[in-house]
Amino acid sequence: MIELTIDGKRVQARKGEHLLAIARREGVEIPTLCHHEAVEPSGACRMCMVEVTRPDWEGWSKLVTACNFPAEEDLIVRTRTDKVMQTRKEILELLIARTPGSQLIAEMAREYGLDHPTLTVGELSEKCILCDICTRVCQNLVTGAISRINRGVEKEVNTPFAEVSDVCIGCLACAKSCPTDAIEFKQVGLERTIWGRTFDLVPCTQCGAPTLPKEQAEWLSERTGMKVEEYFVCVKCKAAQTARTYENIAW
Amino acid sequence: MATNINLDDILTRYPEEEASLIEILHDIQAAHRHLPRETMKTVAEYTGVPLSRVTAVATFYSAFSFEPKGETVIKICMGTACHVKGANLIKGEAERKLGIKAGQTTKDGKFTLEVVNCVGACAMAPLVIQNEQYYGKFKPVDLDKLLRTGE
Ligand code: SF4
Ligand code: FES
Ligand code: FES
Repeated sequence: MIELTIDGKRVQARKGEHLLAIARREGVEIPTLCHHEAVEPSGACRMCMVEVTRPDWEGWSKLVTACNFPAEEDLIVRTRTDKVMQTRKEILELLIARTPGSQLIAEMAREYGLDHPTLTVGELSEKCILCDICTRVCQNLVTGAISRINRGVEKEVNTPFAEVSDVCIGCLACAKSCPTDAIEFKQVGLERTIWGRTFDLVPCTQCGAPTLPKEQAEWLSERTGMKVEEYFVCVKCKAAQTARTYENIAW
Repeated sequence: MATNINLDDILTRYPEEEASLIEILHDIQAAHRHLPRETMKTVAEYTGVPLSRVTAVATFYSAFSFEPKGETVIKICMGTACHVKGANLIKGEAERKLGIKAGQTTKDGKFTLEVVNCVGACAMAPLVIQNEQYYGKFKPVDLDKLLRTGE
């Protein structure tokens, strides 16, 4: 265990633990965009900037990204200095210029005093901040159906050649992990459409409510050893099943 | 430049691993003057890299393209030093002479015109690169020579 200071408070942490994790544990709020529990911190969005210094730095300080900066003994962390606030504001100014379509970014920008953004470079509907969460979630945890393609101003998240992907299993992990809800999907009745591909949702074997695409169930089954059919029971019916099991035990 | 190079011949030059990806893409690009889309899946399987990441790499580096490039690729450096030394004039002249815009390929497939940013030879600015050959202190009139030798 080591000790460091966050916003004037002495706190304990493991050496090397990331500042963001410590701050959250201590109830200190630091804004983040590209941080997601499912993937390693990547330091992509720079929203989590904080100012750090040490007693032996003779007044020197530097800005670091809290999400991936390792804690060390006697570090002094300040999360809301003028420098920090100004930096976050500048980042938001650029982000909002890129993503005029994102409500979240607009709200965050307002919090930092950017009521009337002046610059717009993205399409008005654009929401993606290119944080890379979705692509890394898909690459690392699912099938790697999407990636960031092109570069510079043309960079975007998409499937290879923007064509229908044959490895996508329609799990929605990308859409659900996106901080700005930039990935569109549609679910109507027994159909789910994402990345241009429509998946049939298998109806619940008990009540007929939509469950998962067959592709997703097969992918899961291969990894968990559970039977594919076991995935075709909706959450409600599964809960009911469990309840019945316990009832029987209780008897 | 051989265009009939077999994909397998290229692949077998390199071990079946992720680290081979860029080398393989370079060789395919050199052999075909572009990356034929249908080869990307095979490359993905060979290197064990998901197709989506192969396309991410292939679209990131300007050395690769999915559209066939001309027999001669003319690159005009538009980096700061070259810009100051009149790269814009060279670009305008090249576009006029070839009848295409930067980034395009002539209809007969002979020339591709591209702009690049600093190529690290600022002392020789302005720079024009014809295929792999660098020409420094370039003047718009020098284009005639380049366009002829490219024929
Ligand atoms: S779609 Fe969402 S998760 Fe993916 S890069 Fe864009 S903002 Fe991040
Ligand atoms: S959350 Fe730390 S850089 Fe994005
Ligand atoms: S700017 Fe052209 S070589 Fe550096």
